[in-house]
This record gives sequence, C-alpha cells and structure tokens, in this order.
Amino acid sequence: MEDLTKDRVEQLLNYIMKKCLWQFNSRAWDRRKQNAGILGQTAQLLCGETPVHETANDKCYWVDAVLLAREYRARFPWINELSHDEIKALIKALHERLDFLTIDGSLNEELTVQHY
Amino acid sequence: MPYHEFEASKCIPERKQHAVIKGPGEDLSHALPKGYLNTIPGSISERGCAYCGAKHVIGTPMKDVIHISHGPVGCTYDTWQTKRYISDNNNFQLKYTFATDVKEKHIVFGAEPLLKKNIHEAFDAFPEIKRMTIYQTCATALIGDDIDAIAQEVMEERPDVDIFVCNSPGFAGPSQSGGHHKINIAWINQKVGTVEPEITSDYVINYVGEYNIQGDQEVMLDFFNRMGIQVLSTFTGNGSYDGLRAMHRAHLNVLECARSAEYICDELRARYGIPRLDIDGFGFEPLSGSLRKIGLFFGIEDRAEAIIAEETAKWKPQLDWYKERLKGKRVCLWPGGSKLWHWAHVIEEEMGLKVVSVYTKFGHQGDMEKGISRCSEGALAIDDPNELEGLEAIEMLKPDVIFTGKRPGEVAKKAGVPYLNAHGYHNGPYKGYEGWVRFARDIYNAIYSPMHQLSNLDISKDEIPTDNGFLTRKMLSDATLPPEVVNDPILKQYDGKLDPIPDLRAKTYPVFPKKEPAPVAAE
Repeated sequence: MEDLTKDRVEQLLNYIMKKCLWQFNSRAWDRRKQNAGILGQTAQLLCGETPVHETANDKCYWVDAVLLAREYRARFPWINELSHDEIKALIKALHERLDFLTIDGSLNEELTVQHY
Repeated sequence: MPYHEFEASKCIPERKQHAVIKGPGEDLSHALPKGYLNTIPGSISERGCAYCGAKHVIGTPMKDVIHISHGPVGCTYDTWQTKRYISDNNNFQLKYTFATDVKEKHIVFGAEPLLKKNIHEAFDAFPEIKRMTIYQTCATALIGDDIDAIAQEVMEERPDVDIFVCNSPGFAGPSQSGGHHKINIAWINQKVGTVEPEITSDYVINYVGEYNIQGDQEVMLDFFNRMGIQVLSTFTGNGSYDGLRAMHRAHLNVLECARSAEYICDELRARYGIPRLDIDGFGFEPLSGSLRKIGLFFGIEDRAEAIIAEETAKWKPQLDWYKERLKGKRVCLWPGGSKLWHWAHVIEEEMGLKVVSVYTKFGHQGDMEKGISRCSEGALAIDDPNELEGLEAIEMLKPDVIFTGKRPGEVAKKAGVPYLNAHGYHNGPYKGYEGWVRFARDIYNAIYSPMHQLSNLDISKDEIPTDNGFLTRKMLSDATLPPEVVNDPILKQYDGKLDPIPDLRAKTYPVFPKKEPAPVAAE
C-alpha cells in the first residue's frame, strides 16, 4: 500500500477506534458482521448511493454509517476530492485493517466463545 | 505496547500479563491485558462477587420490587445502599432491603421453609408491592435450596404476585461481571414476553445498561420524551418490573453500559429481531451523536437536533469555564467497568484533562480494547489491580485526581490524591449536558480544594504557613490563567440547581400523535 493511502487509512481508522463502539461487539462473528455492515454502507454513502436496508439490523448499520460518513467528510476534506473507485478502494483497505485489529489480529481471548 | 510489571507484584509473576503501557505507534495487536480471569491467589482484589454483580448492580435498581437475598444477612448488608440508584417512587428499593437471615442451623437442616416464611412476611409488610426478586447466595447454593420451587409455591398461593429467581451465588464467576451475565440471561429466559405493553408511540425503545445513578436515567428520559420516543423499559435503573417483562415489544435497544447488559441486548436481537444500538451518554459530542443516531433510526433527527442546539447553547459556556481550569491535569481513570471507555477520550477532548492511566476491576478484554483505543499514548492500563499496585501507580504517575470507587478512593486520599466517586458520583447526575458540567464542577472542586492542599501538609515536619490567610478554589485555579480567560464574559461557572431531578419529574411534554396504520388494500 502506498504511503498516502496508508496514512489516509490510519486517519479513518483512528477516528473509528477513538469515537465509535460498534466495532467492539463481544464475539468475532458479530464484529465481522458489524464491520462489514457499517463500512459497506459508509462506502455507499460516500459514493452518493442510497443503501437499501431490509431488516432492522441493516437500518442500525445504516445509522452508524450515516454518522461515520458525515464525520469523514467534515474531518477529512480530502475524501470529498476522491473518485468513487478511490473511495471504495480506500474503505476496502480500511475494512481489512479494522478486521485485523478487532478480529483476526486481536488478542481478545473471548472472541471465539460460543455463547454471548 | 509493553507489558508492565509492578514492583509490588514481582512475587506474583502472572500479574505482568494484566498491565500494559500504551506505547507510541503500537496498537491492540501488540499487547492486551488479560481480563475476566479468576483473581490470582496472593493478589488482594478490589472486585465484587457474582451475587453482588447480579443483585447490587442490575437487580436492585428495579424500583417497584421487594429484593430479597436468600442467605446470611451479611450478603445483603454489604450490598445495600452502596450505590445511588434513585427512583421516582420515593426510592423504595433503596430504603428497604430484605434477607432471609440464614444461620448455621439452616445450613444443617435446610433453609427452604425459612425462605417461604420470609417471602410471605415481606409481601404482608408491603401489601402495595406485588413483585419480588430472590437472589441465591453461596451458602444456600451449596446446601441445594430449591428457590424456584418455593417461588412457584408462593405464586400459586398468592396469584397476584410475580417472583423472579436469580441463581447467581457469589462463587459463580471471577467477579461481579459473572453475575451481570447470569441475571441478564435469567431475566430474558424467565420474564421477557410475559407482559404485553400498551404502545403509545411510533418510536419505542428499551434503554438498556442504565442504572439511574443520581438521576442519570431521568436525564436521558427527558431527552427521549422530548423526541416523542416511548421508553418501554429501562434495564434497570428506575425501571419497573412489568415494564421489563415487556422488552420484546421495543423497536430498538439503546445500549449504554455494554459491559453489564450487552447480553440481554444480544439475546433480544437473536430471539426477537430487535437491533442493538450502542451509545455514549457522557459528554457533549458523544451524547449529541447518540441522540442523532436514535433520531435517524426513527426518521426524527430534527427533534434530536433541536435538543442538541438548545442544550449546547445553554451549557457549553459553563463546560468551557471548567475546561480552562482543568487543562493538563492528570487523571487516573479507575472505574469498575464501562466508564473507562465512556470517559477516556471525552474528558481529554472536552475538559482538557490528561488520562495517565485506565483500569478496570471487572471488565473483560473487550473493555480494555475500547479503553486503550480511546486513551492517549503513555497511559498505563491495568486489569483487576490490587491495592499495592494502585499505590505504586499513584507514586509513578503522580495524578492530580483519581476517578474510582469508594474503597480505592479512600486509599488514594491517604496517598494525598483527591478522588471522585466514579460509581455513585459525588454530585450527579453526570449524564446529559448539564450533568457533564456537574462532573467538570466536581473535578474542579476536588483538584482545587484548599482543604485538600492543607491536608497534604505533615504537621510533624512541614512548616505550616500562617501568613496565607483565606484561600478559595478560584484564587488557586485562576492564579496562572491569562486575564482574557479570567474575565471572559461568556464563560461562567455552573449555575444549575443543587438537585436538578425534581424539576425533570414535574415536566410535561408535547404530545406527538401516533400515526394511523396504513390502510390494508382491498383484494
């Protein structure tokens, strides 16, 4: 990953880690769904698309995605200059990094507990 | 992020896995303290037991209920009135506590008849109360008393009462957190879905993981009422027993303390399809974001924005008065569980404080993930510290103030550091915009107390100044501030009431008519 993209991913990631809670649900499977649901809709919103939410859970992801997209636009003005393809690539890289920190590279030994 | 070994715990090498220092450029994949493990023998923990976690934290804030412990009276005595979870029914659950007073003879011959007698006596003594929770303790669990059977017998004899049994004896987990889990699951298994509520709004929530400490729940309820949202139940502060039986009818679970109550939210999501929305009720920015999220979910964001604008305009100048005077002050943020992540970033951003350490007594590794992510580099994060480690950390970090519970708070005072009660609060509520200013006011009062400064002088060796005369907090705090800050016409000290809750209880709210259901198309 080139330095500029890496730096931008870290800025976006730092915002999530400092300000959000949704990435820290208590089980790995739940975190994976949360990260995918919210970041997927965030990418859509940043690209001017209208996410479709069929379930109440989807709607909840959408709520967090709307807040995140707004904050990203306000705090990181460079994001408004990116093309849709660049935004999707950036959020994909962010998603991979977030999954690593909160799931695949996490040292939290409770993530794989079978029950809540 | 290197693990940190305390000098005091070198003889307990396992403890090294329970503390880390957040280093520059490091992240959660480098190190994470262990958590939610049995306390290591030799380490004198500050934790509570699983019975205490079930009863004292979650069960007892329910307001219209006789809460009875089946066990020795000491279990009840030691969990009575140690937290300030008030209620709007004249604090019934705080004023009265009940125990079966199990003695040695009951351990030998069984305590079931004693339990049944006590249940009847309690209902007879308070005939207006028709709901009861019963808590198992270590002693009665070990002798195998069947509380469920007794409760069932009583419910058959008294058809107008309803009883909930919580089987979470003290040994049922490493800490009080084990009890949180057990009562969450027991409540949804036994009681949710057994009452059908009246739905009065198009927007219906359960407010979960909120315990109404000095009125926190009532502050948030005010916002929800102003938005036209029906709060079906609060789990559990100021919550009613029957309201909590109706949790299955909410459209959304709004979750505050995920540490103590995420389990029931996750189960409500799995069993009834009610989504879980985590929020932060502390601090201007997190609270505003939380209200916006709830508003967005229901399509009424404009109502949230109106509240945010009004409250921010009213209280921000007062928050900023304190921020100017708290900048750079060093804090050890040492609460029980969730406040380490609710507060870590926002007291730095909105009050100018510097968090030099976070700890949790009963948190899990997930709480440490949140807390470490939110605090700044250099902070020392500790899981389940013992008293000697706490003292060593104070010596090393030299905090100006510590936010913790009463027991470690008294230890901190002996070490010459003021503390604020992070659990029961000093002069709460601390939630809401006004509450956040009250918290800043309490921090300011603690740090700049002339009495505290005087108490740190040792009359056996220090020279006692006799020419200082009169001192006030403001004389101390403003001595080094630039004149433009001291004389700023906008900034001002907190001017709210001693107790803001009575006014909230007397408020009336606009009526938002419920939408008519869409007509069903004719075939």
